[in-house]
Amino acid sequence: MTASRTTLALLLFAPLAFFAAFFLAPMAVVAISSVTTSDGALTAAHYARVLLDQYHWDVLWVTFRIALATTAICVLVGFPLAWYLVRIVRWRAWRRACVILIIVPLFTSNIVRSFGWMVLLGRTGLVNQGLMGLGLTERPIRFLGTETGILIGLVYILVPFVVLSVGNALAKIDTVYEDASADLGVGPARTFWFVTLPLCLPGAISGAIMVFALAVSAYVTPALLSGGQITVFSMLIFQQYSTVFDFHYGAALSVTLLMLTLVLVSIAGRIGDGGRRTA
Amino acid sequence: MIARLLIRIVALAAMAYLVLPLVVIIGASLTETSYLAFPPEGLTLKWFGVLFEDPSYVSAFVTSTLLALAATAVAIVLAVPASLALARYVFAGREGVSALLLSPLVLPYVVLGAALLQYGSAIGMARSFEALLVGHVIIVMPFVLRSVLPLLTPEQRALEEASMDLGAGPLATFFLVVLPQIRGGIVSGGLLAFISSWINVELSIFNTTAALNTIPVKMFNYVQYTIDPTIAAVSAITIVVAALVIILLDLLMGLDMLSEPHRS
Repeated sequence: MTASRTTLALLLFAPLAFFAAFFLAPMAVVAISSVTTSDGALTAAHYARVLLDQYHWDVLWVTFRIALATTAICVLVGFPLAWYLVRIVRWRAWRRACVILIIVPLFTSNIVRSFGWMVLLGRTGLVNQGLMGLGLTERPIRFLGTETGILIGLVYILVPFVVLSVGNALAKIDTVYEDASADLGVGPARTFWFVTLPLCLPGAISGAIMVFALAVSAYVTPALLSGGQITVFSMLIFQQYSTVFDFHYGAALSVTLLMLTLVLVSIAGRIGDGGRRTA
Repeated sequence: MIARLLIRIVALAAMAYLVLPLVVIIGASLTETSYLAFPPEGLTLKWFGVLFEDPSYVSAFVTSTLLALAATAVAIVLAVPASLALARYVFAGREGVSALLLSPLVLPYVVLGAALLQYGSAIGMARSFEALLVGHVIIVMPFVLRSVLPLLTPEQRALEEASMDLGAGPLATFFLVVLPQIRGGIVSGGLLAFISSWINVELSIFNTTAALNTIPVKMFNYVQYTIDPTIAAVSAITIVVAALVIILLDLLMGLDMLSEPHRS
């Protein structure tokens, strides 16, 4: 018993020490400086500044609006794509190629992916050329520096998460349930609505919440596609640490973003677990 | 039938949307013009040559690669014992330890980057390779942990006990019995770890300087002011690296996770 306790301590010592030194300690420094002044006295002023300033509420509202729209579009685009890959594609090589193509963007930095859209969405970019060629617009539409531009970039980056989580859920559904429903004379639309959808809903919801959390904390994509015209929450944090050098106030902003993300992720975890238990 | 057709159309449009930017970047990196053009005007590899003659790009490539390799190596050394502890022992706080070690997966990287800068300034480590390295180890370790843990099954445990019963010491058992069985998880987790470090901007940006820069941060700073074919060439290289890693992963563990719905 003592021998196994020693082994356990030996196994866990290095990883826990590393996390304590370079993860918990830095986060503690941030948490402490968010509630202290530069002299070390306790204060709630930084949080008051975050919560009472109308500008922050505007930025939060923009961040939330973009994240919500991103999530909705990701689900609307990702669900059919997942369905197509799991249920419609019969040719394995094509499905495999599609899965690889969906993952390649995930393995490419946000910079590269956003940069692609900077090129595509410019005044003379391919998208405007296409729209004008089709006669859908007379003059080039301005995408860069607008919420639409950020939205296109964020959906692009986050839609693979929905496809993979919905796809995994769909692939796990035993088709006997749907067959049974069809045998009992239920039409395909009702079978989808009452049988298939509830079975893959946990996957879809946890995917959607992940997307929302990632969209709320996104920095690179909004920074590149906003052209300095639109500010989202993570940009405020970066400003405090890189140009304003107000670490206390920056810390309060960081803790706010962290709390927001943790709440969302734990909700997603609950839903994911619930799905597993009932499945 | 109409629903099926609609799904097909949406899905193919979505695939086109996912592939388009990558095609545009690779295409634009081959243009002969000094401005970015897609479709490319003429075909040339000269922009890749320009990159390799620019010492700041070369050093950023070296920094990024060393950083990703070092972070992956340290993460493996820390994650393997941690997964053994989590898989083999029941102890108070086990859930907490596993939640702690996996939490960087959901942490906003901007927050951790800012924290490491602030903490680093306090202990005299800010804006150094070490500061970058510890942050990258923290964010990539969960990938190794997650791919090794599922391989430490009860069946694998039985082999471990057999080895001990036959008189092998704990170290011999680890290297001769356990390690060969979790090698696949270490390799695939390591590849995920490498690529996550290699593409990171949000964490690195706080601790990089003009002299100590990683490729993604350098690109980020560059793209905000200028767009030209060199940046398309760097991007094209990172896309190729990503594609190679994915093909490796596919060969190692098979990425066909969305295969046919199974019937019981």
